[in-house]
Amino acid sequence: MNPDVLLSAIIFLPALGALILAFLDSRAVAQIRAIALGFTVVTFVLTLLLWGQFKYDVPGMQMVVEKDWIGTWNVFYRLGVDGISLPLVILTSMVSMLAAVASWSINKQHKGYFILFLLLETGMLGVFLSLDFFLFFVFWEVMLLPMYFLIGVWGGPRREYAAIKFFLYTLVGGVLMLIAMLMFYFNSGATTDSFNLIELAKAASGTSETLTKTLSPNLQITAFVLLFIGFAIKLPAFPFHTWLPDAHVEAPTPISMILAGVLLKLGGYGIIRVAFPLCPYGAYYAAYALVAIGVFSIIYGAFAALAQTDFKRLVAYSSVSHMGYVLIGLGVWKIGEATGKTINPDMWLMGINGAMFQMIAHGVSSAGMFFMVGVIYDRVHHRDLNQFGGLMGRMPLYSGLAAGLFFAGLGLPGLCGFIGEIFVVLSAWNYSPTLAIVAASGVILTAGYILWAMQRVYMGSEYKGPHSEDITPINGRELTVAGVLLAFAIILGVFPGILFDMMQSSTSALVDSMQLGYEKAAATLNELQAMR
Amino acid sequence: MVGETLKFWLMIAWLLPLAGFVVEIFFGFYSKNPRHSKAAAWCAVGCIGIGFLCSANALRIWGNANEWCVLEAAEHGDPGDTQADAGHHETDSAEHQTAYSGVIYTLGVFGSLEVTLDYYIDSLTLVMFTMVTLIATCIHVFAIGYMSDELTDEYVDHSAHTSDGGHVHRPGRFYRFFAFMSLFCFAMLGLVLAGNIFQVFIFWELVGICSFLLIGFYTERKTASDAANKAFIMNRIGDFGFLIGLMVLWTFFGTFRFGDTVVDEQVVDQGLFSMVHRDGTGNVARDEVTGDVLITDTHGHVLTNEDGSNRQIPYYLLVVIGLGIFAGCVGKSAQFPLQTWLPDAMEGPTPVSALVHSATMVAAGVYLAGRFFPMFVQEVLLTIAYTGCITLFLAATIAMVATDIKKVLAYSTISQLGYMMLGIGVFGWAAGLFHLITHAFFKSLMFLCSGSVIYGCHHEQEMPKMGGLLWKMPITAFTMLVGVCAISGFWLPFGLHFSGFHSKDAIVASALAFIHANPAHFMLFLIPLLTAGITAFYMFRMWFYTFVGKPRDQHVHDHAHESPWVMTVPLLILAAFAWFCAYGGESGHLYLMLTGDEPSHLAADVTAATAGGINLPGHAAIHAVHDDAGRWALIAALSGALIAYVLYGTNVVNVEEIKRQLGGVHGFLANKWYFDDLYDALFMKPAHKVAAFCAWFDGAVFDRILHGAAKSMIVVSKWDRVFDETVVDGFVNLIASATQSVGASLRVVQTGRLRQYVMFIVLGVVALFAVMFTTFPG
Repeated sequence: MNPDVLLSAIIFLPALGALILAFLDSRAVAQIRAIALGFTVVTFVLTLLLWGQFKYDVPGMQMVVEKDWIGTWNVFYRLGVDGISLPLVILTSMVSMLAAVASWSINKQHKGYFILFLLLETGMLGVFLSLDFFLFFVFWEVMLLPMYFLIGVWGGPRREYAAIKFFLYTLVGGVLMLIAMLMFYFNSGATTDSFNLIELAKAASGTSETLTKTLSPNLQITAFVLLFIGFAIKLPAFPFHTWLPDAHVEAPTPISMILAGVLLKLGGYGIIRVAFPLCPYGAYYAAYALVAIGVFSIIYGAFAALAQTDFKRLVAYSSVSHMGYVLIGLGVWKIGEATGKTINPDMWLMGINGAMFQMIAHGVSSAGMFFMVGVIYDRVHHRDLNQFGGLMGRMPLYSGLAAGLFFAGLGLPGLCGFIGEIFVVLSAWNYSPTLAIVAASGVILTAGYILWAMQRVYMGSEYKGPHSEDITPINGRELTVAGVLLAFAIILGVFPGILFDMMQSSTSALVDSMQLGYEKAAATLNELQAMR
Repeated sequence: MVGETLKFWLMIAWLLPLAGFVVEIFFGFYSKNPRHSKAAAWCAVGCIGIGFLCSANALRIWGNANEWCVLEAAEHGDPGDTQADAGHHETDSAEHQTAYSGVIYTLGVFGSLEVTLDYYIDSLTLVMFTMVTLIATCIHVFAIGYMSDELTDEYVDHSAHTSDGGHVHRPGRFYRFFAFMSLFCFAMLGLVLAGNIFQVFIFWELVGICSFLLIGFYTERKTASDAANKAFIMNRIGDFGFLIGLMVLWTFFGTFRFGDTVVDEQVVDQGLFSMVHRDGTGNVARDEVTGDVLITDTHGHVLTNEDGSNRQIPYYLLVVIGLGIFAGCVGKSAQFPLQTWLPDAMEGPTPVSALVHSATMVAAGVYLAGRFFPMFVQEVLLTIAYTGCITLFLAATIAMVATDIKKVLAYSTISQLGYMMLGIGVFGWAAGLFHLITHAFFKSLMFLCSGSVIYGCHHEQEMPKMGGLLWKMPITAFTMLVGVCAISGFWLPFGLHFSGFHSKDAIVASALAFIHANPAHFMLFLIPLLTAGITAFYMFRMWFYTFVGKPRDQHVHDHAHESPWVMTVPLLILAAFAWFCAYGGESGHLYLMLTGDEPSHLAADVTAATAGGINLPGHAAIHAVHDDAGRWALIAALSGALIAYVLYGTNVVNVEEIKRQLGGVHGFLANKWYFDDLYDALFMKPAHKVAAFCAWFDGAVFDRILHGAAKSMIVVSKWDRVFDETVVDGFVNLIASATQSVGASLRVVQTGRLRQYVMFIVLGVVALFAVMFTTFPG
């Protein structure tokens, strides 16, 4: 398919689906489900098509689309894909498709639900594919509203609270991003490329032909901090994480899957796509904080997970813990003070690749874990860890699949969680031995909370909670979702090269351009000092 | 070419069990009649059995390729002399390549860094492969009989209770057991085949999870799932150290590979072992100024960084690497202070204990310590030696008072693993690994015997309820006796010594040579010697307790019976190996095969590089004290066995009386030196406290701040409303009312009478003109 059309088709196909659903009779539940699922499947196929057309050896953006949008503000409709966004696009369409299958358990207002669901998918895909800062921001906010309603209307007992908490947190992040966006716009001369993420990145590393002005090193730090907080809220990193457990606990299962599987990745993606390339000096300046926050999130999240009694809350805190690795991997950028060169750039490259892998891996494993919690919740309508037990005997197939997915979360070799974690940790010693050791100690705590939870839910002589009579074996639809996720977890765990090959050129280019950006900023600072 | 062939055969042996696992788990689950079919078992046996044939074939190919140069070495004279010249093996391997390595596939490439799955095949790999597959085959066959009561739709688990006091009834899980066993074999063989330390870590974790699954096989039992969790988490603590070692290695060496990958006689990828060069004294090559360890190429030339400086690693970090990797070994091999998980792991079915928790997985720690030996410096070796020494004593003392037959064997396993570690730590590399192999045979034999006893006694494991079973189950009893003699290390005329005699001798000899070189560390010889006596004591105690004397529980005794052939045949095979596998001792084939590719710096003495450092004895030094050490060890063992006979084999002494006299000591030992309680208080409880704090912190601090902010917003907006409604609106209303009143007052003049308006206009015009003329005159 023509790349111009393909990217737009991927983004707007779900929205088209939503539009069609709007004209359907709201009582035609089966048709609504089928159409919604159909659109997510076709979107998934299109992203696979995109993968097929993707050229591995091109370091920069591919299939770039650029059209006028709001001329007077220099806003363009710019799309493109590279090795960093492609895996996330595929992950998004896959998780959305599986979440659509999981949405069979939604039992009210199906039409509204699926319309919002599809709009949400459009927003997510749009963020990953847009190359214009303004467009990026628009899609970022577009995602917010459907999510707010999906939690607020279809959620659990405290849904209004969770929804407003989620909304406000994310909105604050959005506002910070908006400020940073305007900083870039006006400091780069408010030209036609001032919202162009690619040109802004090139300007930061001094290789842009159209943008000559950009932020001064000190302003870069400010902009980076604003952007980082905005994205750290989404990630979520300590101390901006408290919206997550509430949102997850109240959200319906498929929405939890999307939330953990895709939305959290937007934070990491924002850092790697926007914050890093646009403010390399700021990134370097804050690198230690990034790694330290990452390490702290791992330990803090793991401890908090250990103390939970709500199954879903435990999985939510495990997300906080696992996403800490993403920050570490991105942040392990060490520059020799004397030479101004990156020390062991390959280590940092490994960290970035590990962080990207961790995002995808967590997208698979946490979506799987949330789904597994949902499966049992649909049957017994509670999530109290102390009131389960013995499910291995009652639902053997379900328990086996769940064990696989939880082991993936535990970071067992051969499953996807291992590769991301271990590669990040291995790259960390080069940066800071202390932080690396603390990060590595996470393996003990992770094993602790996951195994303990599994013991309380799946092992034991008998089921201890209410609605024992409703425990039925896993059905075909649930088996499909869990099986696909587990299969992906195994494939990624055994052949991580699939992803690394995809990302290699783009991440290498990122490392090089960041180095250039640092050198440029350092030169500017030296000039300033000389003038004084 | 030979490397490729070897890789081919070993890959088959390695991957077949994985295929077996997939087939067993899926066909087992979906087949119509999984509860009564032994198909899964035969599939598993077939896979591992073919694996054994492949390994043996690989061994044959390897030997033919180098014309069995390893074994010929012995014919030059007695073993002490062969290794006397350090260069001997190097010339050998130059003529005959004996180690092969290469890449299986790549996990990820990051610039110059490359993470791959490799293979590394040398004589140690091949011996381990053959040993693991052989023992695993025997145990799989044994398990067909042992697990046969799972072949039912309604298995009653007498150890798992429901809340109404009944037993758990569940369908049998025969196929699942064999699936897990196959998965374990795959992981274990992968660990042995691994060509880099990262890959070892991968399979290290995989054997760990298989162990978890098998310990927790009876998931209904709380004790089983507790034990499974404990095993995995204790191992993870060791792996935390392993991970630190990996991080340092990766940062400074940039590779995980063991050996050099040679293509067309050119080194294409250098491995770790040749990067740390040992000079003529056997110490690692160091920078003369900084004291850092130099990283060299295969010929001992120092490698340089891009900026021309020498590549080097601080000495203390080399120690950190060694200690880190060894921490992993401590966890896996249940060494002090992480030993507490292994006895609990006996919750698993007995074949699991035999395969996973004695012969193979727990020995993997020793295997890794042996495999990674070239990277260990003196400080690390000393730590290994002392860890082994403490462990072997500690576990042996607990074994003396244990009453559960499997627990005795478990502690004995820990103790024997301690011996192996000690051997490696005191520079007896070959001795440690030799003991690994012999121990694998006799300990798996004894575990299977105990399994046979338990099966025959209908799942009774407490020795105080047994006794007098000798003629009820003679095959089991006598094969067990072979194992007991082997572990005690008994000597027999005509060279028919039990295998343990040779291997334990080798360890004790190494220890004796070590303390000759370093008199300050004399405990490293005395404690193992003493423990050799204790070993014989608790082992014979177990045998007498179980098989001779009066039956202590008539019910158990009456129903006891010998096991079927499917269980006894493996016992006989293993008994033969346990007795004779080390035939010939240190000039026997097993020992020579094992040492075929031993690290070359072992041959000669290593003198300490610094004052007060550790001297390491070479082969000649060890050989010189061999006979002395052997005599001492045999005396210790015989006295231990004698005491056991007096106490438990005869009725001369009242054991209960002794127990009461030594109540304090007995309680201390029976409570396992209170390690579990200590760890609970030191780590488990604080961890849960911290966890509770973190969870509380989220709600009490972050959310409170957030809610506070939200509330203050609401308060502000309320004031805003008040302000809006009183001040702003008031102002607007004020203006409105003012306008209104002005309007109202003006209304007075709005009369509607024309004449009046005309008069206003005229007056106005006149007034305007007056103003104009006065202000603008002219």
